[in-house]
Amino acid sequence: MVIKKAYVETTDRMLRTLELSFLKEEDAKDFRFIPGQFCELSVLGKGEAPFGIASSPTENGSLKFTINKAGVVTTALHHLEEGAEIGIRGPLGNGYPIDLFKGKNVLVIGGGFAFTTLRSLIAFFLHPENRDKLKDLTVIYGARMPGLLLYKEELKDWEKRSDIKLLVTVDWGDKDWEGKVGLVPNVLEEVAPSSENTYAVICGPPIMIKFTFPKLMVLRFPDERIYTSLERRMKCGIGKCGRCNIGHLYVCKDGPVFNYAQLKKLPKDY
Amino acid sequence: MKLKLNKKDFKPFLQSLIEEYDLFAPVQLVEGVSVFKKIDHPDEVDLSTPNPQKPAKELFFPQSETMFRYEKAGEKNKMTSTEEVKRERILFGARPCDIEAISIIEKVFVGEECTDVYFFEKRKKTTIIGLGCNHPLSTCFCSSAGGDPFLRAGSDLFFIDLGEAYFVELLTEKGMVFHKNKFFKEADSKDLTFVKELEEKAFEKVGYSIPVDGIEKRLNLMGESLFWDRVHEICMGCRICTYLCPTCHCFDIVDEDEHQTGQRVRNWDSCLSSLYSLETSGHNPRPTTRERTHQRLMHKFNYYPKHFGQVACVGCGRCILYCPVHFDIRQAILWTSSKRPRGLEGGMI
Amino acid sequence: MATEDKRKTIQDKIREKAKDLLSNNTVDVIIGFGEGSLPLRTTPRFIRNPEKVDRLIWNSFCENNLSTYLHKLGQFKVGLVVKGCDARSVVALSLEKRFKPDQLYLIGVPCQRMVDRRKVSRTVKGEILQAREEGDLIYIKGDGFEVSLNRDDFLYSSCQVCIHRNPTHADVLVGDPVEESPLKETYQEVKAFEKMSPEERWRFFEKETSRCIRCYACREVCPMCYCTECFVDSSNPKWMAKDLSPADLEFYHIVRAYHQTGRCSGCGACERACPMEIRLTYLTQKLNMDVKELFDFETGIDTENLPPLSTYEIEDKQEFIK
Repeated sequence: MVIKKAYVETTDRMLRTLELSFLKEEDAKDFRFIPGQFCELSVLGKGEAPFGIASSPTENGSLKFTINKAGVVTTALHHLEEGAEIGIRGPLGNGYPIDLFKGKNVLVIGGGFAFTTLRSLIAFFLHPENRDKLKDLTVIYGARMPGLLLYKEELKDWEKRSDIKLLVTVDWGDKDWEGKVGLVPNVLEEVAPSSENTYAVICGPPIMIKFTFPKLMVLRFPDERIYTSLERRMKCGIGKCGRCNIGHLYVCKDGPVFNYAQLKKLPKDY
Repeated sequence: MKLKLNKKDFKPFLQSLIEEYDLFAPVQLVEGVSVFKKIDHPDEVDLSTPNPQKPAKELFFPQSETMFRYEKAGEKNKMTSTEEVKRERILFGARPCDIEAISIIEKVFVGEECTDVYFFEKRKKTTIIGLGCNHPLSTCFCSSAGGDPFLRAGSDLFFIDLGEAYFVELLTEKGMVFHKNKFFKEADSKDLTFVKELEEKAFEKVGYSIPVDGIEKRLNLMGESLFWDRVHEICMGCRICTYLCPTCHCFDIVDEDEHQTGQRVRNWDSCLSSLYSLETSGHNPRPTTRERTHQRLMHKFNYYPKHFGQVACVGCGRCILYCPVHFDIRQAILWTSSKRPRGLEGGMI
Repeated sequence: MATEDKRKTIQDKIREKAKDLLSNNTVDVIIGFGEGSLPLRTTPRFIRNPEKVDRLIWNSFCENNLSTYLHKLGQFKVGLVVKGCDARSVVALSLEKRFKPDQLYLIGVPCQRMVDRRKVSRTVKGEILQAREEGDLIYIKGDGFEVSLNRDDFLYSSCQVCIHRNPTHADVLVGDPVEESPLKETYQEVKAFEKMSPEERWRFFEKETSRCIRCYACREVCPMCYCTECFVDSSNPKWMAKDLSPADLEFYHIVRAYHQTGRCSGCGACERACPMEIRLTYLTQKLNMDVKELFDFETGIDTENLPPLSTYEIEDKQEFIK
């Protein structure tokens, strides 16, 4: 694939979004994925790493990935310019259970830069072809500071829509921030969405998940209706190298999306 | 087909194989240390070490293997895949445990959705000549793990050492290719009787004393057991048991770059290494030997059986022989059953 | 006192001391040696219950350097059974502040030198099924053979040249001190190696390291190797590849030996751990010899001063800088 566009998402310059387009037409046509899946992106000479697909299947032509600069491969991806070639393997993983969500309400809770695949999920359901498959769509998205929010322009557009209830919050505001200030678990408690007929999808840093789960319990969300996307160090992405297993399941092949009922039965290797 | 090969014809037989195939056999590196290597001359074969240190999985899943080579040419990159196996191969002298282990790895690598082409190509193009174990070691527990010292499964030809000759069985299509081989003679009833005697003696020696049967279920019930807090203590976190284990198949993938050219290489890796699950953020889901030993034992005896119905251990005993701190996996298995040796206090249980 | 009695006395004293330390809560756990499931082998044992101290044994196969477990201590107090070389590793580790001084109680055993089990196994054809030590003899039995061997003919090479068999700075000595005279001249092995021409030396080194499978057992059993990220595993900067190219294998072994300069007690654990039987002690012996000659320093004797390569003095010799 080739980099069509690249831009920095956050004020600390640690997150950069790449919009990639396929080199060959047939590949673009053959590549079909669902929100929640990921791809392994290769920089020849540096290595390969897994990234959740941030674009929705409804956004044809190009794939979006938001990369956090952390190690060798991600630093290399940050330094590539538009027009550079990147290798891609995918789509991998199981994706969010879109079929289960049909006719139900969906509550999306995101924190920090774990929001990438959630963007894919939200954009998918906001598409006219898919919106009526859901009833209510509620999104709570928080970051530590306003500058660290991803997809700021899109968030502004979504806030204006009537078919989605979007609450963007930050842990600490700044002088320009006019929106909500508060930790995600607390905002969830305030909003107190009904758990009836609702699926919760939660992605974020471990500390956020740790404090949000109890709030979901209080709201009476059953374990089978709480979904999360896990991350693990991966290499092959297809369940062969043995690295990313949690119990007898592989995060790359049987996940990365799991529901809480499944996770309760597995060892805490995550 | 039951044939035999006189020992005086053994080297000429190997020589004839070398002419047509890439022949891999145990080769001694220094006294007491041997590995499976490609040989160019029959004299190189050494069967004095009962089981080579490095297992036969190396032939199908090498310790270090290039997956593809690349050339960076401006904006355009050229990649050449390297899975092709040019010449047919023969693996001679692998024991039934190592051969069974290859089929254990095969179940993971060759799947419905994706197949590891590097492994598969090599597997397809290899004829396996197994060698029965007349004298299993005291550390062998293949029978307890579902195998036996003369297990034929997985071999295309099977040799048994009768002293003056090898007893030869042709078992599969690949094996039948040799039925007109000029070095093979018909085996007679005396040979067959002797084979039976050898088998009985070997079975008796190995026995069935290690309770591998049912271990998957027993481990399901041991989630919070104190066992996990103790069993890992003596482990130092080296990689000997995983590298020398014929069924362990975890690997790492890295790019080795030389400016404009390079290759993507896959190398053996070990779940006992502290870096195995270490994420770039610094978070490590398995920070101590407790979690890593838990992972290794559970993978072999619980997670793998959940998918494939058999344990990922063939009872070869290498991990017992070569562990620097003498971690004995048989004791760990015994502990999970009611046949616990002497309670839990102490190091290696 | 006959050898057999000496060993038994030591074993009894270790058990007595262990029981005492555990009963009084002076330590949380005793790390010593226990019976192995195979002949000629022992295994490290962690004992927490004073009633179970009879699992601790002492014989000529207690070859591991248990001080390597000090890195896993956490907050626990440990009673550690140490031979001469192990005790010196402990001193080296304490200088590097790897544990708090009050966390450790050293049970020092004057060492009768350890037996090389691989050398013993090579004297017979076939598997050794039973072995026992009696006095100065080792009796081994297998299918079709029963042999008695002189234990002194089968000692580890690192033990033959050892001049620090009595643990320095132990909290208690559970045996009578032994004579500090080596059976072979100290640094004999490395001096023989130095007599070879550079080409011969390289060929030897190349041949040995060619067997390496990068299992890192040598690194993990070494008490002095405790870096959270070893240079071998570093990806940023990347010092070496992760495959089996001879250059990388050679690089690993030379550099690892160098990182032990002034810190290595010569315990030989690295060589004993290697499954491919790679010779390693000649490298560390060479470095120990140089450190002794250049800086008059031996690891683990001085509890105050850091090893030479960890410090710099203006008066340091510089003749080797050309």
